[in-house]
Amino acid sequence: MMYLKRLLHRFPGRTIYIMLMIFCFFVAGILNAQQIDILLKGGHVIDPKNKIDEQMDVAITNGKIFQVAKNISPHQAKKLIDVTGLYVTPGIIDMHVHAFNGTDVDAYIANGLTSLPPDAFTFRAGVTTVVDAGSSGWRNFRLFKKQTIDRSQTRVLALLNIVGNGMVGRYEEQDTTDMNPQQTAYMIKKLFPEIIVGIKAAHYWGDFTQVDRAVQAGDLANVPVMVDFGEHQPPNSIEALFMQHLRPGDIFTHTFSYGPAVRETVVDDSGKVKPFVFQAQKRGIIFDVGHGGGAFSWRQAVPAMQQGFQPNVISTDLHAESMNSGMKDMSNVMSKFLNMGMSLQDVVLRSTWNPANVIKRTDLGNLSVGSEADIAVFNLRKGDFGFLDVRKTKLKGTQKLEAELTFRAGKIVWDLNGISAPLWQEELKKK
Amino acid sequence: MLSTKLSIAVGTMAGTALFGFLFFLPVAGQGQEYDVLIKNGHVIDPKNNIDTIKDVAIANGKITKIDNDIPATQSKKTIDVTGLYVVPGLIDVHTHVFVGSKADKFADGIYSVSPDDFSFKSGVTTVVDAGTSGWRNFPLFKEQVIDKSQTRVLAFLNIAGSGMSGKPMQEDVNDMNADSTAFVAEKYKDIIVGIKIGHYEGSDRSPFNKALDAGKKLNRPLFVECHLPQYSLEDQLQMMRPGDIITHSYEQVSERMPIVDEHGKVRPFVLMAQKKGVLFDVGHGGAGFWFSQAVPAFQQGLAPNSFGSDLHRFSMNAGMKSMLNIMSKYMAIGMSIEDVVIRATWNPAREIKREDLGNLSEGAVADIAVLSVQKGKFGFIDAGGNRLEGNKKLEAELTIRAGKIVWDLNGLAAQPWKQ
Repeated sequence: MMYLKRLLHRFPGRTIYIMLMIFCFFVAGILNAQQIDILLKGGHVIDPKNKIDEQMDVAITNGKIFQVAKNISPHQAKKLIDVTGLYVTPGIIDMHVHAFNGTDVDAYIANGLTSLPPDAFTFRAGVTTVVDAGSSGWRNFRLFKKQTIDRSQTRVLALLNIVGNGMVGRYEEQDTTDMNPQQTAYMIKKLFPEIIVGIKAAHYWGDFTQVDRAVQAGDLANVPVMVDFGEHQPPNSIEALFMQHLRPGDIFTHTFSYGPAVRETVVDDSGKVKPFVFQAQKRGIIFDVGHGGGAFSWRQAVPAMQQGFQPNVISTDLHAESMNSGMKDMSNVMSKFLNMGMSLQDVVLRSTWNPANVIKRTDLGNLSVGSEADIAVFNLRKGDFGFLDVRKTKLKGTQKLEAELTFRAGKIVWDLNGISAPLWQEELKKK
Repeated sequence: MLSTKLSIAVGTMAGTALFGFLFFLPVAGQGQEYDVLIKNGHVIDPKNNIDTIKDVAIANGKITKIDNDIPATQSKKTIDVTGLYVVPGLIDVHTHVFVGSKADKFADGIYSVSPDDFSFKSGVTTVVDAGTSGWRNFPLFKEQVIDKSQTRVLAFLNIAGSGMSGKPMQEDVNDMNADSTAFVAEKYKDIIVGIKIGHYEGSDRSPFNKALDAGKKLNRPLFVECHLPQYSLEDQLQMMRPGDIITHSYEQVSERMPIVDEHGKVRPFVLMAQKKGVLFDVGHGGAGFWFSQAVPAFQQGLAPNSFGSDLHRFSMNAGMKSMLNIMSKYMAIGMSIEDVVIRATWNPAREIKREDLGNLSEGAVADIAVLSVQKGKFGFIDAGGNRLEGNKKLEAELTIRAGKIVWDLNGLAAQPWKQ
């Protein structure tokens, strides 16, 4: 009362009336609040980090996950989307793409035409984060950032190539004098720790020099190294790579490629997974799919799956030579694993929470309350489907994932069938 | 030891040779004159009035024969497409594919997209760039995109010298030159199919007249985009010649009067323009297609002549998605699949005076799309964010460009893998 008296004294008449009105509106606002911007209702949520695998509603507010629970009241939401019969997962992370798209017609992947602009491929496949796998090195990363990363709706992270010029061309990639661990680590740790999540070693024709330099840089910057380990004639030992050169947490990509003349395979000639491969995975080596245009064969993947060897991470190796071939897009590669017998839960784990952990970005790949609302909603189509490998042989299948709805930071960036949209006749009536 | 090895080697060689000979004999005897045989599909080829089940044989990248029951033994490869539609490779007359690395630009910029990223997966084998380049930067466009694409890329040349290079450059009347435009169009006449006018906010009529002038010099069509807020729709249609193309036909935005009035009627002068021979392209894009325009227009007889997608960075993930999606929208609006196919193939081929395309005549380049019709509950979005429901949706199963398989969704052309 004392307070009110003092207040009345200071703000006489009309002013106090207005203040009271504002106060009343404020209270009413809180009581009646539609605190939720968008409510996804009735979907089957698969969120491996939080061990959710059942029907749940997901609420989004201010671009963040606000609540994940059963039966959230639609009255609290400004917009309601019915996703009954669909799967709701964290936005998919594609840990292996080439996105340094540019206009140097003579270049290979760095600033060239083989790299692709990410937004053209991501959202339509449920992907919200991509990791560029070493298209750029420390010399041209800034151009990549300015040209693509800063201009994309997709979250673009990167592995920095141990070669300073990145993937300009095969010959440049052999230049050991351009593999500088200090410069590479410096760029990661001091300049772009938010974007660069690891190091890439690839396309090297020599011994272990390139891998060892990459690991050295990885030690300096405290990030993992991804190795594309082929193109040696005769092939270098992958057992030595896994057991002696790489560290737990480092990544072996193109796991199921078959090109035995230049690349040692994980499955031997008699169709058995080599024993050291299981040991390596136990040791902590991360096995990444990296499908690409030439790095995924049924003759490797099917026996491996049958013998209980599953890749830690599913990824595409998206580039111009893989986009229209057997790879196509991330949801297609995920569907391949479904049809080889991997459970949907395992497929989602290996496309969300696993890659988030591998790149040490545990803020991503989950639907924890408060995390950025990157969400994929999938329809699991049933029918007769076929899936091509890079050798143009096919595996028949009965199910296929299709991205119905994709959110990036709470914003709808893909809606295949307009499930978030009103009927057009309703709009006409409003006029 | 040495002699044993040698004799084994000789024996192996002889065996291989004999095997090779035996293998070769029946092959040669049968005469596999075709490279690829597409068998048992429902062929829709509007130019040749085919709308029935036929086999299509390809050799040396060309359509070699269309007939009932061509024997599989006559082809090196046979693809069974029972239950699917076989149509000429689709033609998208409205795209923006002068992709480059410039920020905030269509011409040589990131607002354009790369044709191969979108075409084959939706059955498209030819795209026409809608004036993203002008006579000054067309050579760069050609070097950077056209020559590097698997998709056939044709182009309308913008009357603005540097194409869609942003303001103020693209609106500089002094840089709109009919002679230079006609000269470059003539020099690259295998690629440039017409002239484009769009993106001019002044009231001066000279840009439109210059574009028309260039079109007349070349005897090529004019492609009219919107973004000409000072020109009335009626004026635009009046200035256009038969065979000229207006795009964004079904838009409902402030910068151009919608073709359907507030009572839901197509304006009489629009119908008259159609009668005169002006062609109406969809040009869906991010803002160019509204059900509230397209549905009444269709019901009143103003169906589009072509399904130009207006593919670019801002339409690719929105309601537009792909030309195949636009075709599915029209099936949901009530158009027959035959009427949809003609508007995606033979109509646009004639529109751009490239009658070598958009058909499956014997001798034509083997650009082919094999489509499935998915049945189910689907929804389609327009530029206003509104939904139309439908129960069919087209999907590209197989796309062939000059006889080469460039897209195979479900591995129709592949053998099962063997353990």
